[in-house]
Amino acid sequence: MRFVLTTRYAQDVALFRHNGQRFWYGLLAIALLVAPWLMTNFYVGEAAMVFIWAIAGVGVMLLVGYTGLVSLGHAAFLAIGAYTHAALLRYGVPLPLALLLATGAAAAAGALVGYAALRMTGVYLAVATLAFERIVAYLVEHGGALTGGVRGVAMTQPQWFGISVIHSHFFYYLCLGVLALCIFGAVNLLRSPTGRAFVAVRDSEVCAESMGVHLARTKTVAFALSAALTGLAGALMAHKIGHLVPEAFGVNVSIQLLLLVVVGGLGSLHGVVFGAIFVGFLPQILALARDQLAAFGVDRVPGLEVGAYGAILVLFLIFEPLGVYGRWLKIRAWFDEFPLYRKATYKKQKSYLRTERVH
Amino acid sequence: MLFEARDLSIRFGGVHAVRDVSFAIEEGEVFSIIGPNGAGKTTVFNLISRFYDPDGGTLAFRGEDITSTPAHHVAELGIARTFQNTELFERETVLANLLIGRHVHRRTNLLKDLLFLPAARRQEVAFREKVEEVIDLLHLQSHRRALVGSLPYGARKMVEIARALCTEPRLLLLDEPSSGLNPEETEDLAFWIEDIVADLGVTIVMVEHDMNLVATVSNRVLAMADGSVLATGEPAAIQSHPEVLRAYLGGTDEPPPAVAEAAP
Ligand SMILES: Nc1ncnc2c1ncn2[C@@H]1O[C@H](COP(=O)(O)OP(=O)(O)OP(=O)(O)O)[C@@H](O)[C@H]1O
Ligand SMILES: [Mg+2]
Repeated sequence: MRFVLTTRYAQDVALFRHNGQRFWYGLLAIALLVAPWLMTNFYVGEAAMVFIWAIAGVGVMLLVGYTGLVSLGHAAFLAIGAYTHAALLRYGVPLPLALLLATGAAAAAGALVGYAALRMTGVYLAVATLAFERIVAYLVEHGGALTGGVRGVAMTQPQWFGISVIHSHFFYYLCLGVLALCIFGAVNLLRSPTGRAFVAVRDSEVCAESMGVHLARTKTVAFALSAALTGLAGALMAHKIGHLVPEAFGVNVSIQLLLLVVVGGLGSLHGVVFGAIFVGFLPQILALARDQLAAFGVDRVPGLEVGAYGAILVLFLIFEPLGVYGRWLKIRAWFDEFPLYRKATYKKQKSYLRTERVH
Repeated sequence: MLFEARDLSIRFGGVHAVRDVSFAIEEGEVFSIIGPNGAGKTTVFNLISRFYDPDGGTLAFRGEDITSTPAHHVAELGIARTFQNTELFERETVLANLLIGRHVHRRTNLLKDLLFLPAARRQEVAFREKVEEVIDLLHLQSHRRALVGSLPYGARKMVEIARALCTEPRLLLLDEPSSGLNPEETEDLAFWIEDIVADLGVTIVMVEHDMNLVATVSNRVLAMADGSVLATGEPAAIQSHPEVLRAYLGGTDEPPPAVAEAAP
């Protein structure tokens, strides 16, 4: 077990608490930088896709995991980012600017949805965001030349210094860099007043308000930020998809994003990474499962994938609500405290005399 | 005069939870509100916190009318509160809970937070210094990094008071601070309350059922029942006030011990 001696308050807000952390994260960074040279192009591409999932995952985590607002409409922000980016590139806007503007468009949409849904929480919010997703899907399908309608639109893949954006290595580093920036931003938020306000809203709205947190503003900001990151991920994903069609941003993608944060562990940025790996490789796992099911002749059942996502989501919520990261913390605590580990350490404490009324 | 409520009234459907309640609080005093269950004490607090809009009456703080101030602005003005059943962030550490108390003093914006510019870093350190002062005052050092959900109830109550103090309030509203505390903890609480008033110059309004505590720390007491004020005055006078005794004895509630003793 590690005890960190803190001698200055600044230590508590530092990115890395101790040299051990610095070492492991440094090692991880080096591994990620050299990895593409040790893998086949197929896996470099898959890794980039995991990074993209993680970027969107950070966005969803800020909203669902830290602010406590559920959304079933995040595929819409992904779509807004992707289609805006595609359109801008078609008109010759340089890649970095197009990425920024696509992010901004998604953020604006997010702020709008967040503001409109201010009074909603829980299931009502989930349904409202789902409705929003359907509206965006409708607009995409009937967007004429801008979106290409149901037939879709081909993605412009610009060149950078003679290298195409979708060159596997270039794209890998691009996505990795963007992800690193997003995580850095999220960590910063969470160690400053903005992030604390998110958590306060999640844990007790009454209390947050009595501590001076502006509920409406905080929720709108959370929605906008979440949508921005998801839109950014959508823009990057557009390069990967190559040909944008409405089905690429259906409800099942929203569920995948929710699955990502739940499997990873709500309320943790580490969880986003685990969740992204899981969601990134899920199609392969499902494909394998489908081969097995083919033996029974049930591999052609429609909605098999969405059903599987839903089932996994529910199972996690019931059996491992803290997600993979929570499980990892428990395992680490077990080793740290062996043989003194108490099973109840991570049990949710019964809250005392809590009622629905404002007290 | 620090705070004044005048003719405050609110109804919930058929329930007249608070009716024509008036009181004034002087700087530096401990003002207690007592009354049987359902008297409307918490509702008075919720009105002051601006969670509810009164149906009638006015609220004034430091000479300024706050009857229509938004709830999230009340803390900034200098009014902090605790809740009857505690409203803490259970999955967070005590430190994290106390830091939210500094929220009203933030000077950074979203962009500065996002990039954690030097201003944000300095602010975090300054916040932490202030939080540590409160930790020292209320002797919470040993719980600093504990998760609130794992603390005993008495400690949570203190964390909630500490969090309110972190906002550096002029007026502190405590809703039944002693409920759920054992006798020793209640005795300590009396000392903390006296320290808070003496060291920090904070004025306290307290809703409380424990008549011993009320008599020990209060300068003045307001007794209410069924939403109305029965009497306001010195603790001893209120404890033997015939209307107050009738409210307690006539109600469905057990009278608080001190009142029972005073009864003929
Ligand atoms: N939000 C609300 N909606 C409806 N009725 C309410 C609401 N808040 C309070 N009441 C009613 O107003 C009356 C006063 O309630 P309040 O909570 O203020 O009592 P109290 O004096 O704090 O009692 P206790 O000692 O039990 O805490 C009660 O009849 C209660 O049911
Ligand atoms: Mg009450």
